[in-house]
Amino acid sequence: MMQIVNYGKTKKAQLKIQQMAFMLIAVTIFFALVGMFVLVFKFSELKESASLLEEKDAILLAEKLANSPEFSCGDSFGTHKLNCIDADKIMILKSRISRYSNFWGSSNIEIRKIYPGITGKVLCNSGNYPNCNIIRLISDEITGVDASTFVSLCRKELDTGSDLGFYNKCELAKLMVSYEQK
Amino acid sequence: MKKDGFLQISFSWLFAFIVGGFILFLAIYAAVKMINTSETEIDARIGKEIGILLNPLEISFESEKTTSLTTPVTTRIINKCYPSGIFGEQVIQIQQKSFNKWTNTNIDIGFSNKYIFSERQTEGKKFYVFLKPFEFPFKVADLIFLSSADKNYCFVDAPEQIKNKLTDLSQKNIFNEDDLKNCPESSIKVCFGTGNCNIKINQNANYVEKQNKRLYFETDALMYAAIFAEPEIYECQVKRLMQRTSELAILYKDKATFIARTGCNSNLDLVSLSTLASGLEQSSQLTSLFQIVNKIGENNNDADCKLW
Repeated sequence: MMQIVNYGKTKKAQLKIQQMAFMLIAVTIFFALVGMFVLVFKFSELKESASLLEEKDAILLAEKLANSPEFSCGDSFGTHKLNCIDADKIMILKSRISRYSNFWGSSNIEIRKIYPGITGKVLCNSGNYPNCNIIRLISDEITGVDASTFVSLCRKELDTGSDLGFYNKCELAKLMVSYEQK
Repeated sequence: MKKDGFLQISFSWLFAFIVGGFILFLAIYAAVKMINTSETEIDARIGKEIGILLNPLEISFESEKTTSLTTPVTTRIINKCYPSGIFGEQVIQIQQKSFNKWTNTNIDIGFSNKYIFSERQTEGKKFYVFLKPFEFPFKVADLIFLSSADKNYCFVDAPEQIKNKLTDLSQKNIFNEDDLKNCPESSIKVCFGTGNCNIKINQNANYVEKQNKRLYFETDALMYAAIFAEPEIYECQVKRLMQRTSELAILYKDKATFIARTGCNSNLDLVSLSTLASGLEQSSQLTSLFQIVNKIGENNNDADCKLW
């Protein structure tokens, strides 16, 4: 008789432990889920702010680039010009771009001639310059999102009629800075 | 007769205490970790934002004007400079005061195209920033001078030209005085010539003396740089500026060859400039380099076909 009572008590205790174990598992899963949700939320917030910063950087960089020493016309086309890009200098920069990797922090920089326009997209290289309308500086393909600004694109042109033998030619172009979206 | 112990705790209670304590410990640990992570995130974000905000200043038409940056809490901007690589690197690190303790962030925000001249650590809630273009002989970069609004600089007996420029800046932590006695207390005294000052400028020999070190300069932009920067940062940034000068010199040399096809000829010794600039180790070597720079600058100005 005593043995039967003891057996019943043990069974009840085992049941309680089982209950507790299930409860514990449930609580752990609950906290893990909450933790994961918080982490996902935090991480998406972080990604969003990183993207926003990249976008802000690209917009301001596009405005700044045209006046940076590697791009700007300076005084070489007469008076000092703002938002003016020296196309000849850019073609040299394009050939030396490996030395400038990550210098401006953008994924690509492109200059598109707008006016006077030529039909189709003709990428500039040392063979077809200046009879082209796109100068791609960093990579071959534009990736991500871009920010742009209008600039004057100036170069020296051969002029056999003038005393100097050359003249300054400026065209309307768009400077585009692209960045990878996080 | 009961023979149980003095303190009777059932197994389920004991188990609940242990597990509850463990869960509580985990929750507190996670919360602390999260606070630290968000502090790091805020510091990194502010560092990046400062860098981004400096972009429009560099294209400003009034480049020699002061702009202020204000942060919601006391902030420490740590300025680091690394000369290694093609252009070296400007690194800033941000620490913020939280519960009277500085956040311990080791996140470096790096920029290859910026040159910030400041103390190694600049502390405060408000910071003043002004820029000056550095031309050597072509434009190399915009130099950024950063100082805390809590730190005053008193320029004593400055030459008229410098006095006017400083007045035009209308920077509230810069004072122009004719006598050392009139300087605000605890301000950093900057003397042109002799005097018991923290910083002495010798304009004949082109050097700034501070912390028992001589920082040599050419052009006004570098003089201001030597005044506002820690000696080690100044030397490093000068080296980085010369690295960029060297690359730009090669760019202009190649451009000269490229546009020669249009009959636009220029004959400038840019190779020598590039070689000497890339080999510069100390600011004291600037003087010899400046002679070549002057000559190249004059030749370019006189040329029919200007390269820059």
